[in-house]
Amino acid sequence: MLRKRLITVLTLNDGVLFRTRNFQPDYRYTANFVDAWSVDELVALDITRPGEGSREHFHRAIAELSRQCFVPLAAGGGVRSVDDFHALLGMGADKVVINTGAVENPGLITEAARLFGTQCVVLSVDARRRTDGTYEVYTHFGSHPTGLTPEAWARRAEDLGAGEIMITSIDRDGTLEGYDNDLNRQVADSVRIPALVCGGAGRWKDFVDGFELGHAAAVCTTNIYHFTETSVRSAKMFLHDAGISIRES
Amino acid sequence: MKVVVVDYGLGNLRSVAGAVERLGAQTTVSSDPTTIQDADRLILPGVGAFADGMANLRARGLVDALQEAARGKGRPVLGICLGAQLMARESEEFGLHPGLGWLDARVVRLAPVDQSLRIPHVGWNDVSAKAGSVLFQDVPERSLFYFVHSFHIDGMGIDRAAMCDYGQPFTAAFEADNLYGTQFHPEKSQLQGLQVLRNFLERT
Repeated sequence: MLRKRLITVLTLNDGVLFRTRNFQPDYRYTANFVDAWSVDELVALDITRPGEGSREHFHRAIAELSRQCFVPLAAGGGVRSVDDFHALLGMGADKVVINTGAVENPGLITEAARLFGTQCVVLSVDARRRTDGTYEVYTHFGSHPTGLTPEAWARRAEDLGAGEIMITSIDRDGTLEGYDNDLNRQVADSVRIPALVCGGAGRWKDFVDGFELGHAAAVCTTNIYHFTETSVRSAKMFLHDAGISIRES
Repeated sequence: MKVVVVDYGLGNLRSVAGAVERLGAQTTVSSDPTTIQDADRLILPGVGAFADGMANLRARGLVDALQEAARGKGRPVLGICLGAQLMARESEEFGLHPGLGWLDARVVRLAPVDQSLRIPHVGWNDVSAKAGSVLFQDVPERSLFYFVHSFHIDGMGIDRAAMCDYGQPFTAAFEADNLYGTQFHPEKSQLQGLQVLRNFLERT
């Protein structure tokens, strides 16, 4: 049986690993940061603001992760062109995460899918809850409203060739209050490709809810583990006990 | 031993080469026909569309070199994902496209009976290996491997070394004389994946 995945998201600012709160770099990790042997998959995002650092540093971090980690590695942040895909794939990424670049130029999804395969294109959708309870897609690190609804955008992206959708609740990012599973379910149910959910996990129970209420194929965590060996294991034990089919070792 | 990872412009060559190096083997990533012909072990990686894969092999003049190494000299070749599919006669991915034609097999779309199963098939899934399979020596039973694909290789002409199930049974790995293939990504499947690569390097 295909296992539910537990994905570790790493946010890097100028090549340095940070955790985030509401999309702002918040705390710099100093510890040995990744125990690659017990996570199912890694997503590394460049959260360097334009003009504030070097792309090279991020690329170097990706190359290093790829060399050490024999698990799937997705990379993204600031991807605007097929050249950016080439660069990240060349550094050892297996998949590329696109967000703002896809909203600005939806044709990029199709072009990249044609060149590298749909499995290579992960569309990241950052959404904020409106006061009326509906959701809106934001770009540029969550700062630009787009007028798009997450479901419609995800569906369109699937048609254009995206292979996975990564849904992030901006409101929940870094809050440890749990995923926004209304958002997650709406988006996951509107597409047939796997949905990865992100933003807000603070307790192991949140993972169970992400799968069961959010209809996720994978739950992502950015800030919950401080990358110790036991945290991933405890999370998986909890999921196993809750009846979720995961990869245990 | 000269291990050559064939570079035809598709797929994550770095991680395949990295995994082989981790196992202590010297690896060259190459798109040079002579280097490929002289290899002791060839790895044909690849992620992407079938037609592009074949077009790239042709554009780089690699079809004859691969043919010579695999069929002429009988060197062991391991195809990974798309690289394994390219060994088939043809693929129905986005139209009908001829492959290398080394195996009497076709590449067909995954069609799980359960319509709620998502395509592509992405993630860790159980693989059951046939007793005596070379690639799965010392791999614990029911190990999990990482898959990411929408198509799979199908045919009577291949010896299925391992099966996987995703709403339908499909070939997870095959072994046909000197030709080996995995639908999953051993280079992304942690310890068990490394063991499969080790078996290819040391037991073929």
